[in-house]
Amino acid sequence: MLTDEEIRNAARDALVQASTTFRPDQVEAYQTALERETSPQGRWVLEQILKNAAVAREKRYPLCDDTGIPHVVLEVGEQVRMSGKAFQAVAEGIREGLRDLPGRPMAVRGEGLERLGQTLGMYDDPGMLEAAPFSLYWIPGNVLKITVLMLGGGPEIRGKTMCVFHRHRGENVIEEAGRWAAEAAAALGCTPCVPIIGIGRTQYEAAALQLAAALEGDFTHQSPWEAKITEMVNNTGVGPLGLGKSVTALGSFVKIGPARASGVRIVSLRLGCCFDPRRATVVLKDGGEQNEQRPINSDLSSHYRPNANKIGSGEELFCFFSAFYRPKFTSHYFGPAKNLANQPAGFLSLSTRARPGPF
Amino acid sequence: MKIKTPVLTEVVRRLKVGDRVEISGPIYTGRDAALPKLCRAIEKGELPKLGLQLEGAVIFHTAVSPAGIGPTTSNKVEIEGSIPVLSRAGVRIHLGKGALSADTAKVLQETGAVFMVTPPVTALFINNIRSRRVAAFPEDGMEALHELVVEDLPAIVAIARGESIF
Repeated sequence: MLTDEEIRNAARDALVQASTTFRPDQVEAYQTALERETSPQGRWVLEQILKNAAVAREKRYPLCDDTGIPHVVLEVGEQVRMSGKAFQAVAEGIREGLRDLPGRPMAVRGEGLERLGQTLGMYDDPGMLEAAPFSLYWIPGNVLKITVLMLGGGPEIRGKTMCVFHRHRGENVIEEAGRWAAEAAAALGCTPCVPIIGIGRTQYEAAALQLAAALEGDFTHQSPWEAKITEMVNNTGVGPLGLGKSVTALGSFVKIGPARASGVRIVSLRLGCCFDPRRATVVLKDGGEQNEQRPINSDLSSHYRPNANKIGSGEELFCFFSAFYRPKFTSHYFGPAKNLANQPAGFLSLSTRARPGPF
Repeated sequence: MKIKTPVLTEVVRRLKVGDRVEISGPIYTGRDAALPKLCRAIEKGELPKLGLQLEGAVIFHTAVSPAGIGPTTSNKVEIEGSIPVLSRAGVRIHLGKGALSADTAKVLQETGAVFMVTPPVTALFINNIRSRRVAAFPEDGMEALHELVVEDLPAIVAIARGESIF
């Protein structure tokens, strides 16, 4: 059985990892972007971002001072046993992670209109920042995967969730989302951007799918429609930090969910910034003899994970991870499983807890 | 090109759009909350009370939090709106991100000031900071006007001599 302490530590470590470390597919995307960018000023920006990633990784500093709002995705294996307090343990881990990082202290004081108007200021404690409501998915096996994504504020200002008429042509939906991203790219400032898009049946589902797109997205595996959106944004010529020319979008992540018999699709766009997606996963295995001898019945589990059209579904991740598991409880840091072969040595090691803050 | 603060007028005059610079010495920070207050203090003749040295100064549009520093968008009303008053008061380099209006570019040219941009590379900036202190408006917390002593802070000239990179 997974203990609350293991779960808390895993959430904490995932938060710090997500906030401080570029994944291998991100580094690869920037290296490719450097080769493609024709503007010397644009190349300079890309080089600074890569240098920043190297320092952030080495010293465990935040990649950006807008450390973002924590978003948690829990993928629960059908054989995993944990207490009803596991969700509180995740929340505690998030609080600890924000204090360790440290996150920007940006939780707003007060209730109701005071909170809306920010009239009472902010809490000094970075740990007061609540995570967004958790997303929960069922997966096979005996692992709990805790993913933390840190969502900065600029991309929220440039995003939107709205209906799009498909007019019986899927490309119309993709092209409309591409136009939204292209129109907002210049105002984002922190380019190259990453359009992150969920398409579903309701406003809620589309937004949840947008987070799923960020969860699964991989710069080295781009679908034709992701490539199309990237091309549309790159045609703007905004370039890194708005200095021109070639690389305005590093890539795009699109998650197409279920569709309703209707003339509209609901599209949710987050125009991710140059650090998106800040994401890390810690995998906990509920191993031990008891679990292996007495598999837990999964009949009561509900399985909904809209992963039909994407490389790197939860199931594939599980299969890949399982080869690495030790027989007892352990936790590792993983980027997306499909990139694991490219990860530099040390990527799987646990983070160092005791480290000085930036200031 | 390496630039020491306070910046000499002739150094700023030589800068052109696209120049890459590294700034060393004391700089000020300020954004939406502090910059309008600073402008009001200047207009009321209360700058000496604040003890700030704006002649040849650099103002970086950023908060200063335990998470570090990083440029905020400079074309927000309170920030871009402060540039004319601050430039006339001696500020020579405004550092942030995002495009500014043609009117602001004109004011910068008239006052011999420039606008520079820098990516939000917080981890690099932490390595560039030698010291920090709150210089004015402590009530604004992380948005207070801070004085940072920096070494080789990277930036690129975006608006100078009436020309804009955007």
